[in-house]
Amino acid sequence: MDGVRNVDELLAAVDRDDAVAEARAQAETTSRQGLLGLTLAGAGAFVLTRVGGAAAAGVSATDVNILNYALTLEYLQASFYTEAERSGALAGKTAQAARVVGATERAHVAAFLKLLGSKAVKRPTFDFQGTTEQQRAFLKTAVALEDLAVAAYKGQAPKLQSNAVLVAAVGIHSVEARHAAWMRALFGVTPAVNAFDQPASRASVGRIVASTQFIVDKPRMRARNKPKFTG
Amino acid sequence: MRPTIPAIEECEGSIHGPFSRRALLGTGAVAAAAGVPLVGRLFRLGDALGAPSKAQDAKILQLVLQLEYTQVAFYQEALKHAGLEGELRDFARATLAHERQHLAAVKSALGANAGAKPTFNFGQRTKSARAFTRSAIELEDIAVAGYNGQAANLTKATLASAAEIVSVEARHAAWVRAIAGQVAAPDPVDKPLTAKQVSAGLQAFGVST
Repeated sequence: MDGVRNVDELLAAVDRDDAVAEARAQAETTSRQGLLGLTLAGAGAFVLTRVGGAAAAGVSATDVNILNYALTLEYLQASFYTEAERSGALAGKTAQAARVVGATERAHVAAFLKLLGSKAVKRPTFDFQGTTEQQRAFLKTAVALEDLAVAAYKGQAPKLQSNAVLVAAVGIHSVEARHAAWMRALFGVTPAVNAFDQPASRASVGRIVASTQFIVDKPRMRARNKPKFTG
Repeated sequence: MRPTIPAIEECEGSIHGPFSRRALLGTGAVAAAAGVPLVGRLFRLGDALGAPSKAQDAKILQLVLQLEYTQVAFYQEALKHAGLEGELRDFARATLAHERQHLAAVKSALGANAGAKPTFNFGQRTKSARAFTRSAIELEDIAVAGYNGQAANLTKATLASAAEIVSVEARHAAWVRAIAGQVAAPDPVDKPLTAKQVSAGLQAFGVST
């Protein structure tokens, strides 16, 4: 079955360079309760090793379309965390969490790129409007982006045609929910507000992303408007 | 909009929930599932499942029912006996309220054919804050992996409903890890569990039917 090979590829590509495992190990050594580390070691063993096969083989046009939508959201998240890390504005637990979550989002991007091959959309240009340069603004934005990703994946899961892609997508969906809860805990708001998380349609996710103005046509110039000449 | 963490009393027996009972009852699917021997042991779902159907949804929901029963019982007992304080108590209370709503939704979807409530022997898991924390992480992770493992076996309508629950279970898992000072999202992708693995996990957790 084509799909099975595809999901293996997708999952194998996730954290192929062990960046997530590394970031996690780093965070764990500094976390205050090392005694619970045993639980984590077992859970962390999920890095499949089989890689190979033609990219996007056996993936329908519908699924490619959905995967490119997911890839765009992953680009958005990965770039956001990478920029925040580099800005040096984050400290303590927030900096640790951003490292782990950032590595994960980058691993998601790499996995989708590998699966989609030449059918992958290009990374947009981002302007995070200063939200990566201050810790509270970062956390608030992280909560919004993660909650949005959870709702977006949830909205698409029933539309996926390939079971193999579906299994991978739901495995990423629940990780985004973990991220959302983590960022919420760090921001100081309830990590799980309702008993049921609602999905969001592609149109509504698109509207929300557009409203952030995080995706720009090209790198923003310092002066957006033509200078006014008065004399 | 569903209420934000409603009072526990309001959640009991709530008919609010994502599952469409009509969808499941429409074709006699639940009656078919009732023919599966449920009483006296944990529901064991064959891992070689067929194509999604309403009858299969109902079988899978019986397993989900066991999961939700277990979570409700676990948090109830822990709130009484684990000496939970502060953030951990807040977490347990909010999560119990959610699990009650999940249970009500699954029960409502299955109607009169819902399997019996299992019996529980949580042992030390609900007797101290430390054991509770470890066990809550374990149980929430089983729930996430259990729901994820059934995604491809469910009809699209029931998948959409289950997806509303699984991310909340994932939030619970991350929440309690964060309270414990752990890495709250340790893996880049959540690995699914088969129905058999979920049943075995629940048994090891002290659940029997």
